[in-house]
Amino acid sequence: MSGGRAARRGAGAAWALGAALLFACPAPAADLEAGRRRAQDCFACHGPEGNSTNPAMSSLAGQPAQFIAMQLFQFREGNRKDPKMTPPAVGLSNADLNDLAAYFSAQKPAMLAKAPDPATAAAGRRLTEQHHCVQCHGAALMGQQHIPRLAGQQRGYLRVQLRGFKAGTRADIDGFMTSATQLLSDKEIEILADYLSGLGGQ
Amino acid sequence: MSENGLVFLSRAARTAGAVLFGAALLAAFPTRAQQPSDKPAAAPAPPPSWQQGRTPGEASSPLHPFAIHMTGRAAKELPVDKLIVPAGFKVEVWADGAPGARSMALGDKGTVFVGTRQLKDVYAVVERGGKRDVKTILKGLDSPNGIVFSKGTLYVAERHRITRYDGIEDRLDNAPDAKAVIDNLDPSKQPGHFWKFLALGPDGKLYFNIGAPGNIVMPSYMQGSIMRVDPRKGVLENVALGVRNSVGFDWHPRTKQLWFTEHGRDWLGEDSPSDELNVVKRKGEHFGYPFCHQGDTLDPEFGKNRSCSEFTPPALKLGAHVAPIGMRFYTGKMFPAEYRNNIFIALRGSWNRTIKQGYNVTRVSFDDQGKPKMEPFLTGFLVDEKADPPMWGRPADVMVMRDGSLLVSDDHNGIIYRVSYGK
Repeated sequence: MSGGRAARRGAGAAWALGAALLFACPAPAADLEAGRRRAQDCFACHGPEGNSTNPAMSSLAGQPAQFIAMQLFQFREGNRKDPKMTPPAVGLSNADLNDLAAYFSAQKPAMLAKAPDPATAAAGRRLTEQHHCVQCHGAALMGQQHIPRLAGQQRGYLRVQLRGFKAGTRADIDGFMTSATQLLSDKEIEILADYLSGLGGQ
Repeated sequence: MSENGLVFLSRAARTAGAVLFGAALLAAFPTRAQQPSDKPAAAPAPPPSWQQGRTPGEASSPLHPFAIHMTGRAAKELPVDKLIVPAGFKVEVWADGAPGARSMALGDKGTVFVGTRQLKDVYAVVERGGKRDVKTILKGLDSPNGIVFSKGTLYVAERHRITRYDGIEDRLDNAPDAKAVIDNLDPSKQPGHFWKFLALGPDGKLYFNIGAPGNIVMPSYMQGSIMRVDPRKGVLENVALGVRNSVGFDWHPRTKQLWFTEHGRDWLGEDSPSDELNVVKRKGEHFGYPFCHQGDTLDPEFGKNRSCSEFTPPALKLGAHVAPIGMRFYTGKMFPAEYRNNIFIALRGSWNRTIKQGYNVTRVSFDDQGKPKMEPFLTGFLVDEKADPPMWGRPADVMVMRDGSLLVSDDHNGIIYRVSYGK
């Protein structure tokens, strides 16, 4: 964006594009390779390339970059607390977080192989519509912006998060998830975890 | 109040993230937290503030506020070359790496101080030996959105208090302790529009907003107002009432009247009500909230048996949900003469509307009769008005520099742009 651009015409006024980028300390762009190197430390728990094989551990592969960066930020700042996640997040710079977000969001999610039985699938689908999950997490529940992908996420992890929101113990962005989970019974949380974790499976 | 939204750290946590800020929610739901039950909850947690006032039919609305990038985004990975200013003007990236950058204030020695709303930090942007650096000078504050610099002192408005940092420009690496100007400005400690804009009036008093506690809620004591405090005495006064939330104000350089931006309520339609530009002509004037919106539209609930005629109408309707934030009169000499004493307003952009609008810096000029009119000045943040998200950046505040150029903060990315003219 250095140098002028041709002037545009619009609404009776001539408009010129802005130009010139002159500053000494630009913030670094998110670096996928730097993220890959740093992510090696995450694989022990979150699985290779961030595809978790442990039901209690979240999959990071293919999650929206903004979601990854935001959660790491919340761990680092102590707003979301976890004995395993807080220590590695502390000490990371914003650039580190953005690198990790760029890396994990670029990985292909390995969906779980097992789809839920038809009855669970139907009940789960109904719950995601009834409780408006699809409004934010997307029709295919693949997440967007700062909102996580639920499809193919680990069952145990989903269960713990939903229970935590319902109990008011899971850090929330604006109270939305806490409020949304209040009307869920424990049985419905089980159904949702089963359904969501199997989405995209064979 | 299209500006509202996902307030991750402060307001958010108060409703729901009990884990973040203490035991509010746990206190409200003590048994359920410890003994999971198979029955639905009897008393649901309240919905987030931005959903308050929705009709039942709007429960499945896909409209939602947009989250900022808490870790910031580098200018070099964004389409900053798509920004457009009028012919003869130039826009450039002035600084990035300031996540959540909102209100700006200029120090005596040229330091640009920057407040944040969704983070807890205040930054100083300093130029040393040809290098421009963003330094975090204050940490751990409660939504330090409002900042003012005057005579060597930085004033910071958090949710609950206004503090002063004397002589800070000489010790940016080791900021002095905060001294309270006034405290207890957040007695309810509930969600709501309680982050503050802060400005120093021609009378030497500090002016700030205390917004409404929700989208459309009857304000209680000290809410829905613009107030002022004499920093030497700590005595509060009402300046304007019936103000849903104002996050930007400035004084006309000639008339010395206070002009302010105001966010209208949400969930009352795609095109209703308009956000407002107001002017205070009499101390304690009432601008209508929650009874009357945009000077001519009674609220379906609070407007029953009321009339808009008892309230002050806006000087200018800025458009529905456009989210006007920071505003300043242009007092510099760099821009052409017709810009003198115009107003620049940062429109952070709509979320509560299917076809998005705003997302620019708007210029308000005045005709011979003093009638204001608006036109876009800095555009290009809005990419696709029907997309989710529709934009890549959001203007949050504007500030006139000593050389007459205009700085524009973008809290979505943590970037500050500079608009200049000529050369």
